[in-house]
Amino acid sequence: MSNNNILSFKNLSISFGENEVIHNISYHLNKNEILGIVGESGSGKSVSSLAILGLLPKKISKITTGSIIFNNTDLTTLSSKSFQSIRGKKISMIFQEPMSSLNPSMRCGKQVQEILLQHTNLSKQRAKQETILLFEKVKLPNPERVYNAYPHEISGGQKQRVMIAMAIACKPDILIADEPTTALDVTVQNEIIKLLKTLQAETKMSVIFITHDLSLISEIADRVLVMYKGDIVEQGETASIFKDPQHIYTKALINSRPSLETRLKVLPTIQDYLNNTTNHKIISEADRKQKHKILYSKPPLLEVKNIEKEYISKSGWFNKPTSFKAVNNVSFKLYEGETLGLVGESGCGKSTLGNAILQLDKATSGSILYQGIDITKLPNSEIKKLRKDIQIIFQDPYSSLNPRIPVGEAIMEPMKVHKLYISDKERKEKVIDILNKVGLSEAYFNRYPHEFSGGQRQRIGIARTIALQPKLIVCDESVSALDISVQAQVLNLLNELKEDFGFTYIFISHDLAVVKYMSDQLLVMNEGRIEELDDADVIYKNPKREYTKKLIHAIPKEL
Amino acid sequence: MSHKSNSLKQLALQKFKKNFWGVFSFYYIVLVGLVSVFAYVFAPDNSQHANQMHLSIHSKKPGFKVTMLTIPLQLETNQSFFDKLFFGKKSTDTEVPIANYSVGEDVLSYKEYTSDGLEGDLKTIPLTTFPDSSVEDYIKEKTFLFGTDKYGRDLLSRVLVGARISFFIGFVAVFISLLIGVFMGSVAGYFGGKVDALIMWIINVTWSIPTLLLVIAITLALGKGFWQVFIAVGLTMWVEVARVVRGQIISAKEMQYVTAARALGFDDFRIITKHILPNIMAPVIVISAANFAAAILIESGLSFLGIGAQPPMASWGAMIKDHYNYIILGKPYLAIIPGLCIMSLVMAFMLIGNALRDALDVKS
Repeated sequence: MSNNNILSFKNLSISFGENEVIHNISYHLNKNEILGIVGESGSGKSVSSLAILGLLPKKISKITTGSIIFNNTDLTTLSSKSFQSIRGKKISMIFQEPMSSLNPSMRCGKQVQEILLQHTNLSKQRAKQETILLFEKVKLPNPERVYNAYPHEISGGQKQRVMIAMAIACKPDILIADEPTTALDVTVQNEIIKLLKTLQAETKMSVIFITHDLSLISEIADRVLVMYKGDIVEQGETASIFKDPQHIYTKALINSRPSLETRLKVLPTIQDYLNNTTNHKIISEADRKQKHKILYSKPPLLEVKNIEKEYISKSGWFNKPTSFKAVNNVSFKLYEGETLGLVGESGCGKSTLGNAILQLDKATSGSILYQGIDITKLPNSEIKKLRKDIQIIFQDPYSSLNPRIPVGEAIMEPMKVHKLYISDKERKEKVIDILNKVGLSEAYFNRYPHEFSGGQRQRIGIARTIALQPKLIVCDESVSALDISVQAQVLNLLNELKEDFGFTYIFISHDLAVVKYMSDQLLVMNEGRIEELDDADVIYKNPKREYTKKLIHAIPKEL
Repeated sequence: MSHKSNSLKQLALQKFKKNFWGVFSFYYIVLVGLVSVFAYVFAPDNSQHANQMHLSIHSKKPGFKVTMLTIPLQLETNQSFFDKLFFGKKSTDTEVPIANYSVGEDVLSYKEYTSDGLEGDLKTIPLTTFPDSSVEDYIKEKTFLFGTDKYGRDLLSRVLVGARISFFIGFVAVFISLLIGVFMGSVAGYFGGKVDALIMWIINVTWSIPTLLLVIAITLALGKGFWQVFIAVGLTMWVEVARVVRGQIISAKEMQYVTAARALGFDDFRIITKHILPNIMAPVIVISAANFAAAILIESGLSFLGIGAQPPMASWGAMIKDHYNYIILGKPYLAIIPGLCIMSLVMAFMLIGNALRDALDVKS
């Protein structure tokens, strides 16, 4: 056992100032294995791995107790000079954001070569050959071209491959991958995961794979470690953790993600597991059919006809301006009370379409009929009235609220602008009413956005949106920035509100599982065009188009 | 539970309070502000513009003492109390520095003070000039704490009254620059496109003219005088404010809460004033503090060149101008004292600007 052990944590605690963020954790990493660390934001999963490389911010953080043993040396006591010979050579790391972890002013090949020159005695010529070999290894198409390319000239997935090539350049013993695929599309994520697996099998190095995505970890890891608020709540073989989770938190985490097979009426949250009040009611296919029959008998609320949005970019004085169609000939109908899911990879035009419906960006051609009236041709004064009816819930709960306005006032402001209700007193009562509806209380009225957590802020954003009593709400990646357990709460809230107020949603997301759970109809978009449009369950079961199949196939399946 | 919440503003204020130099500068500026408003209350010489000259005791050292005979003024003035309080006495009694004196039967005879060991003239004055009380009440020893300038005026009083111009030019210039700069910057940044191009063109043209030259041009157009200087300095300073505001707005308008405000149907004016401007005030406040300091410097520069406040009005820059050639004549204090005043006030504004920048930086 101890022979097999390459890295071990012993009773490690880390503090930021007075605040202890890692409480006395112990675990080990075996040779030739992939260890998955899973947890939500703030669970300390990244902090503990940064500690391995001595990359914690020196001024504010401190390792209070414990040790990290690597090859019989305690990494917590190492000087920064001796760390340099370990970093990159013995232990290397891949970061989340491939866009910002490569130096934009250096050619990709040079950046990899630099590491080789730093840590080995290879000549420049040899280092270049070695780099191209590495690029072949990480399956970069046309390695010679990538060698001479600047980071902005290659795609996100290719950048992440370059990062992996950098990380494995010196044949490290340990590779730490910190959320390496979170910023990537599902199909690209799938490829990167496969690549990491094959590389690991070839080189027999140990990998620590950190992520918040449970199903992803079930695909890659041999052993899993679940972290929650700075503690390790559970660890063990991947299969046993997923089949038979012991800790309540792990159970909640596994179940709060919408399943692709069945459709639960209410998603279970951590709170439910703690109180033991999980609701396993399933919406059956018959229920769904019944509901759809009623839905589709009415005239459509919104009808989008041949909408197009063209962007023209001027690349220089002498070049002809090039045009790019972000949305290309899209038409669909939306019925009152329905949820239309809009799914696609980044850059497929789904947000642009949402903005065109909201009239935030004018469409280039085509028409959008809302209750029979073409809203693309309305004068500005009419659009203001329309704003009351069509609303949006944003992706980022941190930047969608004005940091200098207390939340109560932020919710009250749209009411004032649209002259809803007679007096401020009445409006305030309404706001408190809405705050209660979204699961917050009156006490929060005078607080500022920075005093809330991400999930709470998203609730405030929703409260502000529904304050106007709109009919149609566009949810633009509204839950993508949230942790899984919070995501379940917000999804439940959205469904609840839909039943109470009869909203119609356009639910935009890149996460097929979430979209499928929420939607009646599903619209798959690719490169500005509609790939497929049908009932969500039908599409999932029998995808007709190649692209849809690829998309469904790429979703990590749980065990 | 009524929860008193901490807004970002309050957090910044708490942080500012912890910065010693910031708070110190703040109190110093408040002090100078009070002094400049109530200058005539504090000044030993409270005649208008502290303009009581005694040519025989010109350019004396700080702490100079002399016996002073006050000859009361014959004619009555009808100046209101507040006018006197804020603008000084229009007509005052004549003051004569004397070496010695003797009281005769119905005349007072005194010898005028002269420096450099010369004999002063012997003069007599009928005692009837001094109404009611005895003559001794009109003869007192007077101390000039900062010495006297080249016209024998009390330098301390001149410095106190001069603070007024330096201080108010800062206020007026910053006010005008904010008014124009924030408006132009917001319009350019928010609407972009052709409006932006036009405003940027105006900004670049204004910027290409040297400040001093522009101020001279404006003073020539509007006439000499200190109000013209106020306006001229303000008109040159809006450029920087506008550029900062424009840049900030361009990045702030990409924030989701601005898009949210647009989606909620708020009009442009409301979005700019309520949702964008409060969030970009930090750099504007910092640049205003720097502008305040720059305005003071420009004014003293202009006064030094003789196109600022006109004599007999007291201004620190003009005081340096009057006395800079005394520096090599062994009486540097005449120019150094107002110089130090300018320096300390400008530094206070710079320090407060730095402290504000640190306090308003919410990220760290």
